Amino acid sequence: MLRRAALLSPALLAWREALALPTKALSFPREHGSHPAFRTEWWYLTGYADVGTRDQPRLLGFQITFFRSRIDAAQSLKSRFAAQQILFAHAALTDVSAQKHWHDQRIARAGFGIATAAEQTTDLKLRDWTLQRNAGGAYTSRITAKDFQFDLQFIPKQPLLLQGERGLSRKGPEAKQASYYYSQPQLTAKGRITHAGQQSAVKAGIAWLDHEWSEEILHPEAVGWDWIGMNLFDGSSLTAFQLRRMDCSALWAGGSFRNAISATSATTIFQPTEVSFKAGEIWVSPSSAGRYPIQWQVTTLRGTFTIRSLMNSQELDSRSSTGTVYWEGLADLLDTQGRLVGRGYLEMTGYAGRLQI
Amino acid sequence: MMDLLRSFSWQELRQHPWRYAAALSSIALGVALAFSVHLINASALAEFSSALQSVQGQPDASVRGVSGSGSGHFDEAVFETIAAHEAVELAFPVLELSTYALNSNNKKIAVRIVGLDALSAAQMAPALIPRPKETAARFALFAPRQAFLNAAAMQALGDAELRIVNGSRIETLQAAGSISAPGAPLIVMDLGAMQDAFNAQGQLSRIDLRMRAGASPSSITLPSHLLLAQPDDAGERTDQLSRAYRVNMTVLSLVALFTGAFLVYSVLTLAVAKRAQQFALLGVLGLTSRQRLQLVLVEASLLGALGAALGIALGAGLATWGLRALGGDLGGGYFSGATPPLQWSTFAAIAYGTLGWLASVAGAWWPARAAQSLPLAQTLKGLGHVHSQQRKPWIALLLIAFSALFSWAPPLFGMPIAAYFAVGLLLVGGMGLLPWGVSLLYDRLSPLVATKALPMLAVERARRMREVAVVAVSGVVAALSLGVALTVMVSSFRVSVSTWLDTMLPAPLYTRLTSSTQMADGLYFSPDRVQAIAMLPGVQRVEGIRLRNLNLGSTLPDVQLIARPIKLQNAAKTLPLVGEIFQPPAAGAIPVFVSEAMLQLHQAVPGQIYDQKWLVAGIKSTQSATESIANQTPPVFYVAGVWRDYVRQFGSIVMDHAQYVQLSRDERINDLAIWPQANANTLAIQSQVRQLFSEDTALANLVEFASSAEIRSISLKMFDRSFAVTYWLQAVAIAIGLFGIATSFSAQVLSRRKEFGLLAHLGLTRSQILRVVALEGAAWTAIGAIAGCMLGLLVSLVLIHVVNPQSFRWTMDMSIPWLRLLYLAAAVMLAGTITAWLAGRAAASRDAVLAVKEDW
Repeated sequence: MLRRAALLSPALLAWREALALPTKALSFPREHGSHPAFRTEWWYLTGYADVGTRDQPRLLGFQITFFRSRIDAAQSLKSRFAAQQILFAHAALTDVSAQKHWHDQRIARAGFGIATAAEQTTDLKLRDWTLQRNAGGAYTSRITAKDFQFDLQFIPKQPLLLQGERGLSRKGPEAKQASYYYSQPQLTAKGRITHAGQQSAVKAGIAWLDHEWSEEILHPEAVGWDWIGMNLFDGSSLTAFQLRRMDCSALWAGGSFRNAISATSATTIFQPTEVSFKAGEIWVSPSSAGRYPIQWQVTTLRGTFTIRSLMNSQELDSRSSTGTVYWEGLADLLDTQGRLVGRGYLEMTGYAGRLQI
Repeated sequence: MMDLLRSFSWQELRQHPWRYAAALSSIALGVALAFSVHLINASALAEFSSALQSVQGQPDASVRGVSGSGSGHFDEAVFETIAAHEAVELAFPVLELSTYALNSNNKKIAVRIVGLDALSAAQMAPALIPRPKETAARFALFAPRQAFLNAAAMQALGDAELRIVNGSRIETLQAAGSISAPGAPLIVMDLGAMQDAFNAQGQLSRIDLRMRAGASPSSITLPSHLLLAQPDDAGERTDQLSRAYRVNMTVLSLVALFTGAFLVYSVLTLAVAKRAQQFALLGVLGLTSRQRLQLVLVEASLLGALGAALGIALGAGLATWGLRALGGDLGGGYFSGATPPLQWSTFAAIAYGTLGWLASVAGAWWPARAAQSLPLAQTLKGLGHVHSQQRKPWIALLLIAFSALFSWAPPLFGMPIAAYFAVGLLLVGGMGLLPWGVSLLYDRLSPLVATKALPMLAVERARRMREVAVVAVSGVVAALSLGVALTVMVSSFRVSVSTWLDTMLPAPLYTRLTSSTQMADGLYFSPDRVQAIAMLPGVQRVEGIRLRNLNLGSTLPDVQLIARPIKLQNAAKTLPLVGEIFQPPAAGAIPVFVSEAMLQLHQAVPGQIYDQKWLVAGIKSTQSATESIANQTPPVFYVAGVWRDYVRQFGSIVMDHAQYVQLSRDERINDLAIWPQANANTLAIQSQVRQLFSEDTALANLVEFASSAEIRSISLKMFDRSFAVTYWLQAVAIAIGLFGIATSFSAQVLSRRKEFGLLAHLGLTRSQILRVVALEGAAWTAIGAIAGCMLGLLVSLVLIHVVNPQSFRWTMDMSIPWLRLLYLAAAVMLAGTITAWLAGRAAASRDAVLAVKEDW
């Protein structure tokens, strides 16, 4: 049985009744920036790189996430210290060959130069952690965590991928459960990853960026979601997600597949019925007792894939920042013949207590 | 040696259990008192500093405003620069307010409210992390007016709506959860909510800093109205506050130990004298002189060890009781809060136990030497106890000279250690002069009583057996001299405090909102209210006083600033000045009157310019920094006079209120002195003042009134209570001393049976013999009383003129309570005489005739 924490307070949900988000033409670079009028927003950078030698490969996975939360309870305060916007950040490093996983987090209220999320373009700062997008579209991130340091650059090879209906992605049966959501798959990662005093040069890593903002994502029945963002080796990209009920059945699903060869015409946006997740092997987290499926079969309009985690123990305990425990880790993508066709990140939330946003 | 102890020493002990019990109890009592004072204070301090620590967290340094701890707010704008400084890893902004909360019965409860960054509390002050109630929404703690209470606050104020006094308003907060911090009532809020709730937008009290590895806080440059404080300052300041009081209490309890050493000396001297023949016999049988010395020392050592062990046990018990009955500060008023648990310390137990043991061994040294140098043959013939050599008084005089020297020494670690050493030397030296004093007195006295048989016998014996007399009365002299010294000191202090109160309280009626200077910035009378009070029917005149703490940014406690109407011409009448009033050394210099502590602690020199950055910054800090630069050159202060302050040990400054307002634009008034018109109804005035302060009765009831007579009597009552333990100690010391007299007399009388038999044969009746004994007792205690009083007066000089200024930094005028000393001396003499008579009666009850036949 999955453990479930107390349900989200209805009072907070009712604070500002979420209305259905309209579809609109997302205008860039403005949309790369922060949207403080929305309750929840995140920038998710995940990727991998081989930093070993030809004889001895060494696969590293990395995750850099910035979250922003609008705190409705503090909106009426006049103090400059009022926590009207709070920024969180998570960073994780997975060493597949060593089967090790490290993570760290930051949290602060926006203001006083300690935490900022610019509205013009992606320019995030949370104490000593940063993520910035330059005019050319490349992202730079500097993260100094307890156990590791990232000094990475991410250069896009392909145009942006607007998820859902021109960037409006439905997340539930009601119209208001939706987010503005775009991805930047097939980023080339360069720079340095330092761990245990040892610096590894990242020359040709592959990464994925998600930027999503919303007023309300979770349907009251939803307890969490499963998500994949996979960079296929041929340059294609696969996004799939499902929102689960308490009994693990799918409440909603979605995603997309973009063919690398002709980028614009070959994008398929999946309708809820066109994606299904089937859980495989279960791994039980020793620290949270969460039961995570570390293997999945995802059936989409564009094919059936197997997702296989490269390491079981990629759980993040971020109770002191976002208040949740979730699993976010590097996984392989296999086709029906069992061939390795891509690699990317798998995210599973709500397995160790209901997700609260 | 064991065999000797078991037979020889044990027999002696069995025959005279009371004698040894006296010495033992004195050692035990001394150890017990000193140890319990130590334990109580260590417990209180540990409790206090752990509470402080958990409330403050463990920053590497803190940025504070210069004006006063907890009250001096500064502009939050500086936070951005400090947080961005490369040496700073985490900057933790804090807004603090000390004020009153009103409970459901409208009773005021002092609380501290801390506004902090709830998101970083886990890293800086884990005890202050807000813990919302189970039902609360995730980010509800950032909502307006949400308050998190520690256990004491929750107990006092409940778990629902809170009413907090904020100047002349009452703010309501919502109890939304708890914090784990122990200690006095404490409320935590998120900084944003706190600034809004108390209308303190833009204000911070301090910024706690966690530095990057290897970075030093001193690399941060701060504007002049801010300073960098080390985090341990507050704990050390607390220690400083009570240190002098504690040292004095400890020394006082060592008085009993000191008396104990003399009692051991007197008991063992008698024991050696009485057992002289046995010692000689043992000597002849082969016990070497060195072994005799060892035997006596081992006896004393066992006595001391037993006394010390008993003392430690008793001390721990006393401490447990004392913590519960008197609180952690022994009534000194330095700590507030709940009763702390006892902090047992093995190290301290061993240290104080060793002290008791050492006192016993030190007391045994001379008797042991006597046993060592016993002339065997003479002693066996019964001639031994004739003292052969009369010691010269040089050593004693030398000790006294050294004592005088030590009393001039400056304090060590802020404590009058050299002075206490001087007192010890003075007592030992004075005791050494006793035989000389006896001959001086009785050589003159003996011709006067030569014609009267009984007095002559008594005086002659006292004169010729002066060494024995000295031994018998040494305990009394030690106890009495310390008793007299303390009596003189306490009485001088009381007289000085009483006259001080007269000068300090000129008005018949006083009113204020709080007695805490921490709260003085938030709870005050505004100038228009003061005006209105002055206009009230029945009020002749009012005078306002502004009280503020000035933070020095060092480990020293704050200096208090008292701004009140005072002019150079009338200063002597309204302030208890010590010395003259100085005219300004330079044109435009502003006069300030400093308390005596300022001379020692803060380099104030009477008549000179007083150029201190913290003073200028502290007084001007209520203005904005830019304004003060544009304004004019900084003010120049000079020390116009020195005044005696019996309240603020760590320094205070008095300046004219008008000048203060001109410099600071701070028009708040904290204390108000009211002169009602003749025949005015003070009760009516009081209720009108309350009404003027606030229409809200809960707020109006914050106003406190006291007549100067009330303040006076409460102050003196508090004074007497804090010194009550001194009187008690004196009584115990003197009782032990008298007990020593009783035991030595009964021993003497027993050993003098032959002499009494001879006197009986010469025709003296038993009652006449008893009268001789009683007269001897009178003669001995008389010399003891005189010597004790003289020594005591000398010691009191050291206490009044050296110990007090050094430990409390204030002076007092010596005033000797002659009548009380006379009573004390007479009581000791009377008790000594009666003791001698009773002891003689018990001892001389056997047939005296038989005693003469008891011969070789």
